[in-house]
Amino acid sequence: MQLISYIKEGLNNLFALKLRSILALTGILVGTASVVAMVSCGELATNEALKQFKTLGTDLLAVSLSDAREDKNSFASEKKLSLNDAVDIGKINNIIEVAPYTQLYQPMIFNGHELNGGVMGVTESFANIVHVDIDKGRFISTFDKYAMYCVVGFNVANKIKSFSGLNALGQQIQVGKNIFTIVGTTKKWPENSFVYANIDNAIMVPILTTMALSKYTSINNIILRLSPDAKIKIVQDNINNYISERLASKQTFFRSAEELVARMAKQSQIFTVFLGLIGSISLIVGGIGVMNIMLVSVVERRREIGIRIAVGAKKTDIKKLFLIEAIMLSLLGGALGVFLGVLISLIMSKIWHWEFTFFLLPPLVGFTVSVAIGVFFGFYPVYNASQMNPIDALKSD
Amino acid sequence: MKLQSLVNFENLNKIYQADHGKFHALKNINLKINKGELIAVVGASGSGKSTLMNILGFLDRPTSGKYIFLENEVSKLKDEKLSEIRNKKIGFVFQSFFLLPRLSALQNVMLPIQYRDKISKNAKQQALSMLQKVGINHLASNKPKQLSGGQQQRVAIARSLINDPEVILADEPTGALDSKTSSDVMDLFLKLNKEEKRTIIIVTHDKEVSRLCNRIITLEDGAIVEN
Repeated sequence: MQLISYIKEGLNNLFALKLRSILALTGILVGTASVVAMVSCGELATNEALKQFKTLGTDLLAVSLSDAREDKNSFASEKKLSLNDAVDIGKINNIIEVAPYTQLYQPMIFNGHELNGGVMGVTESFANIVHVDIDKGRFISTFDKYAMYCVVGFNVANKIKSFSGLNALGQQIQVGKNIFTIVGTTKKWPENSFVYANIDNAIMVPILTTMALSKYTSINNIILRLSPDAKIKIVQDNINNYISERLASKQTFFRSAEELVARMAKQSQIFTVFLGLIGSISLIVGGIGVMNIMLVSVVERRREIGIRIAVGAKKTDIKKLFLIEAIMLSLLGGALGVFLGVLISLIMSKIWHWEFTFFLLPPLVGFTVSVAIGVFFGFYPVYNASQMNPIDALKSD
Repeated sequence: MKLQSLVNFENLNKIYQADHGKFHALKNINLKINKGELIAVVGASGSGKSTLMNILGFLDRPTSGKYIFLENEVSKLKDEKLSEIRNKKIGFVFQSFFLLPRLSALQNVMLPIQYRDKISKNAKQQALSMLQKVGINHLASNKPKQLSGGQQQRVAIARSLINDPEVILADEPTGALDSKTSSDVMDLFLKLNKEEKRTIIIVTHDKEVSRLCNRIITLEDGAIVEN
């Protein structure tokens, strides 16, 4: 018997048993769709998480300083890194750009309205290194030194505008007991995991100003840009030496973009595999559905099997007849499932405002696995059918 | 014309393993059937008629003894080969017709063609001419449900003829039919035997049917008592 006539006959049989076929199909469809959707969404989420590094670049290194020991006198002045020392880190080999920053927590008031947010002391290089884009005005400059100027984040600027109806630029904000003049506003800032603050909700002032305002302020964070060929380990060692020469009691903690990317990628890989496994469970359930339907089908069609054997069908013919039905069920279920799965991931990406990318792998894997599952679970009933004794098969009602 | 041997049973036994011991269904059967014969196999139910028929059609294998079908020793052949011989050389007709309900009369007749090695291009033409031979070519597109018992049995006979077999094995072919259609079906068998020299073996307990055959084999408790 030729393949084409097997397929024709298989289709006929599946159509004749409509409800049952649809049920089996749905099992495989849902299984495939869940695998494809889950894995695709996992990949999309990974992409989204790694997107920040595309704009930021992977050549960043963040250094945090903390006290090695609990020291009651930890605010003694010699235990602070001076701005000059911080900037001089840039003299270490392979470091291109240095952006130290400080954080200060003082109430900010505009026109009697409280502005929730932090104060950051920054240098001119900060904007460039962490991608703060100026909307109006200018950024903090080296020449500002101790000046009472500030650049306000996107959300702060919007708040000021809504309170006063005026453009934030040129207005004044009270920070603690001091009045700062706004010299610039920023555009929306693409968040990243290098700066421990949300710049959109912060105001940035000259770093020397923050150090003068409060004796507790110290430079505990420095963001560095490395040259592309830098060996991170060596740079880290050099920085450690540099710091310990000056401040023996400080401990350094590094976060490199490269390491972050690797860790994130690994995490989301585990996540994706996990999602895939959950999806696979439903796919297996779908497979068992196919098996169930095929078993019933074989039992119900015992007489048909007997008739076919009586007119000369071989065992392999009987096997092919049922196997093709199982394969067609899972092919169709798999194809529809892939379609549905991709659709679901598209909808999810719209809901979460993720950038949608079509990944070929999850549909390919989902489809292949679903067909394999159909064949695997179809095989037992098919084998049963082919081993049927024709006399018994013909006797049955 | 020299008689050609079609079937040769030598000391054939069939023993079933039942729950309560062994059941000796066929005992030392020796039987020769030549081409062109019209044979009735009769006997009470449980006498071994159906077992004999199943072994004749390779649906079952004997426990011991030799079965030679057209110079092939059946016990030495594999299932695959037997299916092939069954497809080409044997046509079955059953009491309850055994047509596939989802297929039309024509498709049912074409079923054995599908299992041939080579499928001829004019399979449909062949099937139609078989339906014409049994006198129901006008019902070719009907499903079995839309046909009467006699018409269904004619479709089954057309199906048994499609591969031009050496022998037609009919198991109670008139058992489910009234006397009028019974005699129509028997007329058809007689015609096929006389005009086409087809070998036909009919298992029956109907005296009217066996009376029409040239040779009657009577079975009793698994043994041939009259031949």
